[in-house]
Amino acid sequence: MSGAQGTLCLILHTHLPFVRHPEHPDFLEERWLFEAITETYLPLLSRFTRLCEDQIPFRITMSFTPTLLAMLADDLLKVRYLRHLERLIELTEKEIHRTRWLPPFHRLALFYHHRLTTARHLYLDVHRCDLIRPFRELSERGVIEPLASCATHGYLPLMEPQRPAVRAQIGVGVQAFEHAFGRRPVGFWLPECGYHPGHDEELKAFGIRYMLLDAHGVLFGSPRPKYGVYAPVFCPSGVAAFSRDLESSKSVWSAEEGYPGDADYREFYRDIGYDLDYEYIRPYLNGDGTRLNTGIKYYRITGKTAEKQPYDPDRALEKAAQHASNFMFNREKQVEHLRSIMDRPPVIISPYDAELFGHWWFEGPDWLELLMRKAHFDQNVFTLATPSEYLERFPANQVLQPSMSSWGHGGYSDVWLNGSNDWCYRHLHKMAERMTRAADAHPTSDSLRTRVLNQMARELLLAQSSDWAFILKTQTHAAYAYRRLHDHLARFDALQETLRQPQVDEAWLSTVESKDSLFPFLDYRVYATR
Amino acid sequence: MVKDPWWLFAYWEIRSETERSVRNQLLPSEIPDLRSVLRVYDVTDLEFPVRQAHRSFDIPLSGLATSWYIETNAPNRSFVVEIGLLTASGRFFMLARSNQVTAPRAGPSEVIDDAWATTDELFWKLIGSSALLGSGSSPTVWAQLLLRNAVPGSWSSGTLAGMARPAMVRGFWCRVNADVIIYGATDPKARVLIQGRPVAVRKDGTFSLRVTLPEGTQTMTIEATSSDGRQTQSITPVVSLTSAGSLGTEPGIRPLPTARPSIRRTP
Repeated sequence: MSGAQGTLCLILHTHLPFVRHPEHPDFLEERWLFEAITETYLPLLSRFTRLCEDQIPFRITMSFTPTLLAMLADDLLKVRYLRHLERLIELTEKEIHRTRWLPPFHRLALFYHHRLTTARHLYLDVHRCDLIRPFRELSERGVIEPLASCATHGYLPLMEPQRPAVRAQIGVGVQAFEHAFGRRPVGFWLPECGYHPGHDEELKAFGIRYMLLDAHGVLFGSPRPKYGVYAPVFCPSGVAAFSRDLESSKSVWSAEEGYPGDADYREFYRDIGYDLDYEYIRPYLNGDGTRLNTGIKYYRITGKTAEKQPYDPDRALEKAAQHASNFMFNREKQVEHLRSIMDRPPVIISPYDAELFGHWWFEGPDWLELLMRKAHFDQNVFTLATPSEYLERFPANQVLQPSMSSWGHGGYSDVWLNGSNDWCYRHLHKMAERMTRAADAHPTSDSLRTRVLNQMARELLLAQSSDWAFILKTQTHAAYAYRRLHDHLARFDALQETLRQPQVDEAWLSTVESKDSLFPFLDYRVYATR
Repeated sequence: MVKDPWWLFAYWEIRSETERSVRNQLLPSEIPDLRSVLRVYDVTDLEFPVRQAHRSFDIPLSGLATSWYIETNAPNRSFVVEIGLLTASGRFFMLARSNQVTAPRAGPSEVIDDAWATTDELFWKLIGSSALLGSGSSPTVWAQLLLRNAVPGSWSSGTLAGMARPAMVRGFWCRVNADVIIYGATDPKARVLIQGRPVAVRKDGTFSLRVTLPEGTQTMTIEATSSDGRQTQSITPVVSLTSAGSLGTEPGIRPLPTARPSIRRTP
C-alpha cells in the first residue's frame, strides 16, 4: 500500500436462498444454484487461481451466505448439479451437430461444449465436488477476505425491535462461517446492506470488526462524516462501517450506462431454451415442459434492436479489456481528485452481487481478472486491499451513528415492505416471538424436544429470507416464494404443536428435518432472552 | 415498522373481547358516530406515555383495515401509534399501542464534530463526487434522494437540513449561527439567481451563497434557468429565526432556523 494515494476495495456479495427439494426429482428453482456454479463460482475460482499462479498480488473481499454454503456442501445437490451438467453437455453435443453448416453458431456450440466440459472437469476432478475448500484456501493465502452474513439473508431493519431474532440471524451466520472457513469472521455483510442503528452492537457481541453500508448510511450519519464515504467510521459500539462509492458502482451496475450493456457483450435474453424448436429442446427443459434459460446463448447485445448478431467471444474479451482499463483510469482520476480535497488517502468501496459476474454479465469474470492485472502492472495511484487491511493501516477514524439504510431501491425498506409482501411480517414477527418464548421455556430439554426446537428455529430462519419478500415484489417466481413462506410457517406451527403433546412423532420430525436440512450445528437457545 | 424517512407501516389484530370491553365504557349516545382511528404521536426524545407527545394526528380507518401505511413526512423523528375508537365528542379509547420507531434522516446531519470538523463546501464536494451531482442520471434511485436534498427542487419535502448552517454541538452546549448558506446543484450550464443576484455555478453544477439572517422572517428567491433559457425553476424558502432563548429548557428541540418553502415551476 505504500506510495499509493488511495485504496480500492472490490467486494462481491455471494448469496442464494436455500432451495433444495428432495421430494421432487427435478426442481426448477434448484437451477439457480447450478447456473451460479457454472457461470459464476467456477469462472471466478479459475481466474483467482490463475492470478495466484502468475503471482499477481490481488485482493478481493467476498461474502458467502450460510444458505449458499449449506447448498454447496449438500450431497444431494452435488449429485443433481452433475446430472444437470451432463444434460447440458449432451445438449451442446447435439448443437455441434445441428450447427455444422452455420459457421458462427457452430463455433459457439464448440465454445459452450468446451466451457461445460471444463466446468465438469473443474468441479469433479479439481475441486472434488467441494467448492468451499478452494475459496477457503484462497482466504488462507490472504487474497480473498471472506465475510460472514446473516443465517438466511434476513433483512434486519424489518426485524427490529425483536433483538433475539436479529441476534439469531447474526449468530447462526457467524457459526456457519466458522464451520466453512475454520476461523472467526472479521467483517460482516448485512443482507441488502440493511442497517438499523443498534445492530452494530449485536455484531460486536460476535466479535465482528466491520460491516458494509450503502453510501447514505454514513453520509446521513450524525455527526457529519468528515470524509463522506471515502473513509470508514466507527459506530459508538466500536464496529467500523465502510460505505459504498456510487461512482464506481454505477459503471458496473447500471444497465444503461454500465459496461454490461455494451453491444459486443453476450445477450442474456436470447437463449436456445426459448429460440429452438420445442420438440428438439423439450428433453432439456424441466418436468412441466416450460421453456427456460439453458445458459446457451448465441447472440450479442448488438443494440436496441430485435435483430441480434451472433456473439463473438474474442471481440467481447477485447471489450472487457478496454472496460477494465477504463474502470482503472476512472479510479485513478477519482483517487487523485479525492486526494486533493482530503488530508488522508481515500478508500473506495465497490460492492457488487457476485452473480452479476458471469451469470448476468457473461464477461464479468474476465473483466475482473483483467482489472486485477492492470491495477498491478499499469498504474501506481491506488492499491487493491481488503477493508481489514485498510483498518490496520488507518486505525483512527471518526465516531458517528450511521443512519438506517439499505442498498435497495429507494435506499430504505420499500422493496421488502410494500403492498405485495407486507402481509408476511405479522407472521414472521409472531413466529419470532413464539420462538423466543419457547427457548425461554426450555433452557434444557430431552434430545427429541431439542430436535423439535432446533427445527422450529430452522423454519423461522428460512421463512425470514429476504428473498421471498423480494420475489413477491418483483413477481417472478412469486408462486414459489409464497409457497416457501407458507410451508415454513406451517411447519413451524406444527412443530410448536408437538411440543405440547406428550409424545413426539419422530418419523414425522425426521421428514421435516430431511427437507429443511441446513445448519446441523444450530442450537435454538440462541433465541433465548438475555 | 419504518418504511423510509417519510412513511411508517403499522399492522394490528384486535381481540374482540378487548374491543367489547372498551365499548362497554362508552355512553349509548356515543355509539352511532364512533370511528376507528390510528393516532400517530411524535415522541422524539421523550418518554411516552409518561410525558406528553410533541404532537399527534389521527387517521380514520375503514372498519376492515388490518394494516396501514402512515405518512408522517417527518424524517429523524420518533413515533408511537395507537389504534382506538374516537367518539364524535373527541373522546379517544385506546385498543392497542405500538412499539416506538425512529424514522431515518433524509439528509446530512446538522451536527458537526469538532475533532472531525468539515466545511459545508467540502462536505458537498465529497457528496457531489459520490452522487455524481450534475453529471447525468443517478446510479440508483436513492442517489436522487441526495439530489432531492441538494437541488432546489427538493425543498418541498420540508427537509431543510441542507439549508441551515449547522449548529456546532460539543458536549452539552449549543451555539446557533444567524447565517444561512443557500446551496444546491443544478445543470452546470444553468444560470442561477438568488434574490435576483447571479450566483456562480461551479463546474460540478453546485452553487452556494452565504446570507446573514436577521431575527424575524426572511423571504428568499432562488431561480435556476437552463442554458437554453427554456426551463426555469424557482424556489422561495421563507426562513425565520425565532428565538434562541429556549435553549436547554426543551431538550430535543434544536433552535435551528426553520423554513417553509414554496415551489413554483414554470414550464
